[in-house]
Amino acid sequence: MLVAAWLAVVGVFAGVCTLLARPGLIPSPNASPWRTILDRITRDRLALVGLAFLVTLYFAAAIAPWIAPYEYRVQLDIVELKHQAPTLAHPFGTDQYSRDVLSRVLHGARVSLSVALLSVLLAISIGTAYGGIAGFAGGRLDGIMMRLIDALLALPRILILIAVLALWGGVSLPALVILLGLTGWFGVSRLVRAQVLATRGQDFVVAARALGASPLRLFLRHVLPQAMSPVIVAATLGVGNVIMLEAGLSYLGIGVPQPRPSWGNIIQDGAEYISTQWWVTLFPGLAIVLTVMAFNVVGDALRDAMDPRQVDGR
Amino acid sequence: MRHALALPALLVAAIACAERGSSNAPSGGTLIVTIGADADHLLPPLITGLVGRQVADLMYYRLAELTPPIRTAGDEGFEPRLASRWRWAADSLSIAFDLDPRAQWHDGTPVRAKDVVFTYSLYTDPVVGAPGSVNFANVDSITAPDSMTVAVWFQRRKAEQFFEVVHNLVPVPAHVFGPVQRDQLRASGAVREPIGNGPYRLVRWERASRIELAADTAHWRGRPRLDRVIWTPAPDPVTTVTRLFAGEADFYESLRPENLAQAESDSALRVVPYPSLQYGFLQFNLRDPGDSSRPHRLLADRELRRAISMAVDRDRLVRSIYDTLAFVAIGPVSRAVAMDTTMTHLPHDPERARRTLDSLGWRVSGGDGIRQRDGVPLAFGVIVPTSSRPRINAAVILQEQLRQVGVRLDIEQMEFTTFLERQRARRFESYLGVWVTTPTPSGVRQPWSTAGQSNFGAYASPVFDALVDSAVYARSPVAARTYWRRAYQTIIDDAPAIWLYEPRMVAAHHRRLRITEFRADAWWAGIPEWSIPPDERIARDRIPLAVRHE
Amino acid sequence: MVGLVLRRVGQAALIVFLVTTLTFVLLRVAPGDPFTATVEHPLIAEETREQWRAAAGLDRPIAEQYIRYLANVARGDFGPSFSKGRPVSEELASAVPNTLLLMLAALVASFVLGVALGVFQAVRRGSIADRAIGGVALFFYSMPDFWLALMVLLLFAYRLGLFPVGGMLNPWSYEYYDIWGRIANRLHHLALPAGTLTLLSAAAIARYQRSAVLDVARQDYVRTARAKGVSERRVVTRHILRNALLPVITLLGLAFPALLGGAVFVEKVFAWPGMGRLAVEAIGTRDYHLVTATVIIAGVMVSIGSLLADLLYAAVDPRLRET
Repeated sequence: MLVAAWLAVVGVFAGVCTLLARPGLIPSPNASPWRTILDRITRDRLALVGLAFLVTLYFAAAIAPWIAPYEYRVQLDIVELKHQAPTLAHPFGTDQYSRDVLSRVLHGARVSLSVALLSVLLAISIGTAYGGIAGFAGGRLDGIMMRLIDALLALPRILILIAVLALWGGVSLPALVILLGLTGWFGVSRLVRAQVLATRGQDFVVAARALGASPLRLFLRHVLPQAMSPVIVAATLGVGNVIMLEAGLSYLGIGVPQPRPSWGNIIQDGAEYISTQWWVTLFPGLAIVLTVMAFNVVGDALRDAMDPRQVDGR
Repeated sequence: MRHALALPALLVAAIACAERGSSNAPSGGTLIVTIGADADHLLPPLITGLVGRQVADLMYYRLAELTPPIRTAGDEGFEPRLASRWRWAADSLSIAFDLDPRAQWHDGTPVRAKDVVFTYSLYTDPVVGAPGSVNFANVDSITAPDSMTVAVWFQRRKAEQFFEVVHNLVPVPAHVFGPVQRDQLRASGAVREPIGNGPYRLVRWERASRIELAADTAHWRGRPRLDRVIWTPAPDPVTTVTRLFAGEADFYESLRPENLAQAESDSALRVVPYPSLQYGFLQFNLRDPGDSSRPHRLLADRELRRAISMAVDRDRLVRSIYDTLAFVAIGPVSRAVAMDTTMTHLPHDPERARRTLDSLGWRVSGGDGIRQRDGVPLAFGVIVPTSSRPRINAAVILQEQLRQVGVRLDIEQMEFTTFLERQRARRFESYLGVWVTTPTPSGVRQPWSTAGQSNFGAYASPVFDALVDSAVYARSPVAARTYWRRAYQTIIDDAPAIWLYEPRMVAAHHRRLRITEFRADAWWAGIPEWSIPPDERIARDRIPLAVRHE
Repeated sequence: MVGLVLRRVGQAALIVFLVTTLTFVLLRVAPGDPFTATVEHPLIAEETREQWRAAAGLDRPIAEQYIRYLANVARGDFGPSFSKGRPVSEELASAVPNTLLLMLAALVASFVLGVALGVFQAVRRGSIADRAIGGVALFFYSMPDFWLALMVLLLFAYRLGLFPVGGMLNPWSYEYYDIWGRIANRLHHLALPAGTLTLLSAAAIARYQRSAVLDVARQDYVRTARAKGVSERRVVTRHILRNALLPVITLLGLAFPALLGGAVFVEKVFAWPGMGRLAVEAIGTRDYHLVTATVIIAGVMVSIGSLLADLLYAAVDPRLRET
């Protein structure tokens, strides 16, 4: 499961990169904006640092089994080596099971990142489809569909997740991904719907319609490319958000199951001992903060770069 | 309700008597108990949790009370409370209790035999759902020959017949709860501010925040020393113990290993070890979780269970989780109540475990090191409640130790209610449990005998059941002891569970507090005799009983 | 204006209704019910539980239970709490104000702090101060709420010992304080949880406010004002700020669900007896009526938040007054 997830993650990542690098690949009414966007991003030093951090992190996570000093579940000596403060042998210390925290944080990166990326992928797929349908359908159906979104957005997402996970007890990793995906698409669907409404009235769409193009074709050829930029931005920021959500759920003990580490459940391991064994909580938390920061920086840069109002050279 | 509570103190000031006065310690002072959970109820027949029992034991008297050391056979271990004396019938099938004429409820109403009869009816009414009702299986009836006499009629003679009734029946006032409809009892207002008859009366109960008791200064057996006792429930263990170290609380009942050193080095605190009646274990489900009429595909096999047990290093597991604060469990019983502790245990022998598993046809083939037979991996699940740190710790350590011999343990953490639901519905392959025994060896039946209500793993051994029965009804202590030893040995050899740890309890209290010897099953039983010397009192001890900014 | 209010109230009512229905169904479908949970004890017989279920009406068809429940709620009766042994309304009455106190304290503090920082950053765009504040804001913005709460607790309560480790007031002595002592005691307990929430949402607001000001600064009317020779101070205060506050008002509506979600964790870490904790506990004990009621309250709070935001927006932005 994890390997498959991993391939998917790398695939998506590579896809987004090529998409940005080769403007001809996606059918856009105007290909040059992608080039401009790329140019703008490469000039944003902070975003580059963020991107570099993420690439490094991905690489490290991918080869975690080979670079981690210990296996993530190995309990070195449950009596003598538990709760070791950071030393050279264990730069992040050990937890209450005498497992090396550094190794667990590295392995945790794999789980936290794949869970986040896969669920965001699922979320934007659902959101795009839902928003597209609502936008094209219009009228009463659109109204009903959007009221439902309002209702779903009225509850804090974390509460919905806690409710479902607490009611049904421990879930497997795939189920967690699906659940995170199923609760993450509400915002995206609004974005896509707005884009559909904006595009629907434009001349070339009206023309294409008059020529008998089906709504699906219209959507794929004309609306989707236009909607791409806000969706990509939302997805990038969404990944950071989901990393935090997963951490919160795992912290409550209803997220990723033991012994597989995620940043959240490492924090859970440490939370009860925080007054004396702070390192188990501190390091995975810092990993989350840095990663989410990187996603936010890149997301911000993408948004700025994709903003047509933006004047170059700001 | 609150007005009613305030009155009796004034009315009966005349009858302060000498029983408790024998301890000359001056009265006054405040005891704050920091604790990990709120009470579920304060009305004895409804209480399931430990905190509720602690509070209620100070608010309510029993007919007679256990004194340390605990002796549950016969009545020598008891001293009078609501009953001033009692008489056995010649055939031991009934006991008549004479109520103390001075006994009265906190609202001034005298305690009468009808209260006891009423309480018995509450305990045994299925609509009330009193958890303690099983303890009265041997009671035929309870009657009131006159207003000051209670007669208990038994079905069979039994060493613990006195204990079973007197310890488990806590009289409540008939005039308060009698008028309440039985099916509305749990939701009624009277239940939230119950009226007792013990040395302390309830001042307030704020959910999840505090339960405050104040001394009944005019109590008929003499006023308790401390003016007030307050329980402050905290939501998690860290907050709970931090309140003690921060000086916000005076007493904490169970220090954990990571806090022990700090408590010992804190000059404001005293550390008191005491015995416990708990043990923790991993119980296998011997039946199929989907269909309990069928045996479990793996765990019904005694040899396999024994092999798994031998793969577990209980000694290191216990030291890792509890440091020195627990013993390795001796079986389905705690040391404090075990009649015999000389059983032989399955050794920690991973080599033998591997050989056994090999011989059963489970061989390592895949790259993950997990054994397989006919393509089926040797794996089973364990359910653990997220609320219990020691159990989660045990699960993670067991998982790794079993992996070493090629067995995969899948941990499912779940929130406590889901855990209980799964346990009760027997939808689990194994679970990590903790059992708090009653202070009597016969408590072993409930979780381990074939008909036991808490025998979730469906261990069914006629041999074990028969031995326990023989032990309970044995005429001589020597015979009982032999039967108990054979019963324990039988179940240990069958390995329906891996008995892991038996916590050694260590309480910590502020040094100004003068405490009495703890009773093994209830450290709080002696609180009415605890005191604080006037020259060591701190601000909260000087708050007078009556004055309060409202 | 009245039309807008009516329409939005109608929408809010619909949202709350939908949310209630979803919760109701979710709870009934999930394993376990209040009587496997609240009074769980192996010694209570299954027949006894059945009697309780019947007494609470849980043996009826779901549709009937649902209609009966809605009718009761419409009359303002949230039913009994199975796990707490008292009416749900009493539980809410003790928990909701605590959460509101926490949220309002954080809301006010974070808006003041966030708007001030955001404007300051925008005015000093590109300066070291702008970048420093931006960096710090991004740092807190990227932080999981429970982790920040844990770190704040570790530093200020455990290590420095400046604040209590949890709770709303000092449980043993509060009753014996005079009024000022009580207020001080409450503020002392409020500081860490409210501070944690404030840091989190102020970071978001500052980031938002900064870009809003910069957006407005690019508008034609600002350029026109500058071209006309209006002083820079006046341009900032009169032209930019007024307009840049508009998008932040929208944020007010969004801040409610975010704060409510954050409150779940902050209340847990700081042992704050509020709605978040109550909801999680109630889910744990399958306390049907209590869960549904907290969800209804949450829905109402969020709706009121976004309604307020809409109204404020309409009040400030003349272009919207017509609709």
